[in-house]
Amino acid sequence: MKRFSICLIILAIFIYLSNAQIINKLPLSDRVTGYRIDVNLDTGSKTVNGNMEAFWVNKSSDTVPDIRMHLYMNAFRSNRTTYYTEMRGSPGNKDSDLGWIEISSFTDENGVDLLPLMEYISPDDGNKEDKTVIRILLPEPAMPGDTISVKIDFETKLASRIRRTGFTDDFYFVAQWFPKFGVYEAAGMRYAVKGAWNCHQFHATSEFYSNHSVYDVTLNLPTEYVTGSGGKLISEKDDGEMKTLTWRAEDIVDFAWTAWPGYSVFTDRWKNVDITLLIPGNRVKQVERQFTAVKNALEYLDQNVGPYPWPHLTFVDPPSIGSGAGGMEYTTLFTSASSTIMPDWLHMPEMVTVHEFGHAYFMGILASNEFEEPWLDEGVNSYWEERIMDNYYSSKSGLINHRLLKVSDKSSARIAYTRSPARQVVSNNEYSWKYPHGTYSMMSYQKTATWLHTLTGIIGEETMNNVFREYYRKWAFRHPSGKDFIDVVNVVVRMEHGDRFGSDMNWFFDQTLYGSGICDYKVSGISNRKYHKPEGKADSVDAVAMEWPNTDSLYTVVAMLERIGDVMLPVDVLIHFTNGDEILEKWDGKERYKDFTYTGYREIEWVKIDPEFRIAMDVNYINNSFTLEPQRAPLHRLVNRILAFIQFFFSIMLL
Amino acid sequence: MKIFSCLKSGFGRTLRSWKGVLIVWLALFLLVLVFIYPLRGSLKSAFGSSMITERLADGFDIEVFADLGPALKSILSSVTSGFMLVYLIGFILNAFLTAGLFGSVRKGNGKFSAQEFFRAGSVNFWSFLFISFLITVILNFITGIVLGIPIGIVSMSETMPESTRFAVMITAGAVTLLLIPVFLLVADYSRSWMASHENESCFRAIGFGFSQTFSKFWSSYIMMVLLILTQLVPGIFIMTILPAWKPVTGGGVFLLLIVSQLLLFTRLLFKTWRYASVTSMMEETAVINPANINHIQDEQGRINPVTG
Repeated sequence: MKRFSICLIILAIFIYLSNAQIINKLPLSDRVTGYRIDVNLDTGSKTVNGNMEAFWVNKSSDTVPDIRMHLYMNAFRSNRTTYYTEMRGSPGNKDSDLGWIEISSFTDENGVDLLPLMEYISPDDGNKEDKTVIRILLPEPAMPGDTISVKIDFETKLASRIRRTGFTDDFYFVAQWFPKFGVYEAAGMRYAVKGAWNCHQFHATSEFYSNHSVYDVTLNLPTEYVTGSGGKLISEKDDGEMKTLTWRAEDIVDFAWTAWPGYSVFTDRWKNVDITLLIPGNRVKQVERQFTAVKNALEYLDQNVGPYPWPHLTFVDPPSIGSGAGGMEYTTLFTSASSTIMPDWLHMPEMVTVHEFGHAYFMGILASNEFEEPWLDEGVNSYWEERIMDNYYSSKSGLINHRLLKVSDKSSARIAYTRSPARQVVSNNEYSWKYPHGTYSMMSYQKTATWLHTLTGIIGEETMNNVFREYYRKWAFRHPSGKDFIDVVNVVVRMEHGDRFGSDMNWFFDQTLYGSGICDYKVSGISNRKYHKPEGKADSVDAVAMEWPNTDSLYTVVAMLERIGDVMLPVDVLIHFTNGDEILEKWDGKERYKDFTYTGYREIEWVKIDPEFRIAMDVNYINNSFTLEPQRAPLHRLVNRILAFIQFFFSIMLL
Repeated sequence: MKIFSCLKSGFGRTLRSWKGVLIVWLALFLLVLVFIYPLRGSLKSAFGSSMITERLADGFDIEVFADLGPALKSILSSVTSGFMLVYLIGFILNAFLTAGLFGSVRKGNGKFSAQEFFRAGSVNFWSFLFISFLITVILNFITGIVLGIPIGIVSMSETMPESTRFAVMITAGAVTLLLIPVFLLVADYSRSWMASHENESCFRAIGFGFSQTFSKFWSSYIMMVLLILTQLVPGIFIMTILPAWKPVTGGGVFLLLIVSQLLLFTRLLFKTWRYASVTSMMEETAVINPANINHIQDEQGRINPVTG
């Protein structure tokens, strides 16, 4: 009884502290779950072991009989797990290569042993070898409003081949390392028809769908390790051999940390945000680049989407031995990717930094389900990454800015989508692990970003910004679905443009997000024909001759357009005449072909569909224009240069 | 002083052989043109009547070329295989043309004779081809080792201080740069000797190249460095002017072609100056095989014995 009372008091204090404010003045989220974790890093056995107390609040009106948690480190248990089956790889042959998580004790707030009630389940694929999700039948069902508190003793063995998480030599990046609650979706939340747990297995392509939680993490490890985490450092004790660090993180969806003796630590500040960078000592030259990139992203997203709500942010540039940890996001902690030699003209580190930071918004704040709607996480984030890169590093050279080659970030995404032979295999509306033929990245990242740029081209950049501002305002620290995003688009577009695009924008999403067609418009030709007077006996008056007195120099001209792809989007058509006149036509793009015919004393010189390249989804810009006098000079110049460079190369290489 | 007299003598010989340089330039120009012309046709056909080429006015635009789709794939595949073929032919052709040039810049070849140029080219073709091939392989292998291994180690190391890393890379780069003139000297001395000893084995020529390089090392080396630096001048112009110059009219593009070809011709002239100066240095210092004495003519075309 005494033990039970002590447990109860400790848990009550823990829940109270979890709702207390240490970082922000007010809670940012509902805090359905919370964790207090106390662990040691054993650098010999490469394990993290200790205990944790966690709670889940049943905020639904359902009576819930069980809880579900994920044990994602078990993905590295063998090559038969779902993760490695999808990867077609192996965690390694030796025991030291494997990663796993073992629970040695699992009790509820009353001290009832829940371990016998725990079972491994595989809700996604039925793979019995996959132990990344557990279900615990509660002794008493959780009634609406109940808080289920659990205490778990666990040991996590880190995997040796870092894929997002693990160790190499003395480098550690520790993510997906503790038992974590799934998300209980009440009826009406996202696509839930009735209340149920949404707790997916660990897949090769995605890993996040979690509640916003409070984390109090205490880590004990050897003194020489330099550490970083998604939390704010509350205390640090050092006895010369070992040190104990305590972090607190509020309202984030996952907690990860890193430790490596070789890190150099740098700090900077943007508004009220303290930024910490952990980087290998030999990449000091890149510190300024990295800070500039992250501050650019902070500024741009703050202006166009919403505020970054935490006063701290840590990011890591992992060393080459830990490159598998690069390019990952844990909200207030993220990893970039770089190398020792990185020319200034190549903005890859900046791009990765901007992208991974962006996940603090798209997944972190707007906690969508990456498993079920990866486009809402990776695609939306890629769209913003491209806008940020092209805004701060030039619209033509956001990714590569070499005098011989300039590539914008937006262009690189568009090319990846438009040139993919698998671009029509599947629509964007697919679970992350079900994308066939290796289409996950292209579809989730690049296609989504490309159709979001197209939407921007149609409704305008300021309206798009307002869409995201409203999306943030309405859904921050909640779990929006794709449907919720579309609803926001419909409301904002209607508010700003009225009926200009119809009663809603569903026609756009039906074709781009839910459809697999391509968009391709073409100018098939120009016809300039002299006007032919009617000959012979006519019953009526020649109306043209009445309007145009000099019919000898009169032309009937036609701009002939085609829609080759299935996707129908409204486009501008610019028609230029020999006398310098220009007409900008609007075409709704619904017909398979369209002729714009004019009569007058002028011929058509050229025609351009989408002259400002707003429809990024158009898979071929080359056929978007047609001229009677093609400009060959740029092409000849290019060829002359190639000629000279090859001759120059020969003069060097041939002794 | 020997260096400057050799450079002066070499310069004079180069000017007298300008027609030979013109032949070399023309041959390589036509060779590359054979490769470039179909490429131009393919691009014109692929872009058709499109106005997308406007986007190339500011320079290369990857999006424009990516949109060529399957056409780009076939163009790239033909460019890659075409380039390899042209390089191979260029390598072989260069052996012939260089043999002609070395024959032209020898002491005593007063007036340039196209007949003598082509005769020397044909007689020494196989030897020159072998020497060029061997020295190219050695040079690439040594460069790969001296430059590649330290850079690889530096790139992999996570804990090496920035200053050490910088020092290692600078040292590797400097050693490579210092080694290049040595192998160029070996190649040039070997070929120059071969041009004077037409019936000798090319292995002997290479042996002579090495011994001559190291017996008169400093004077030869300094002279070679000066000549390489001179060759860099048109190269720098080519690498800076051509990418920055973006003419948009047909006339401007034609002017770009003329300027680029003039720069390339100048570079070839400087390269020939290198051949001629090394030949001059060899003739001043080496003992020439008496069997080839009848090939050594003075500047007026008279046959003279050669002193050691």
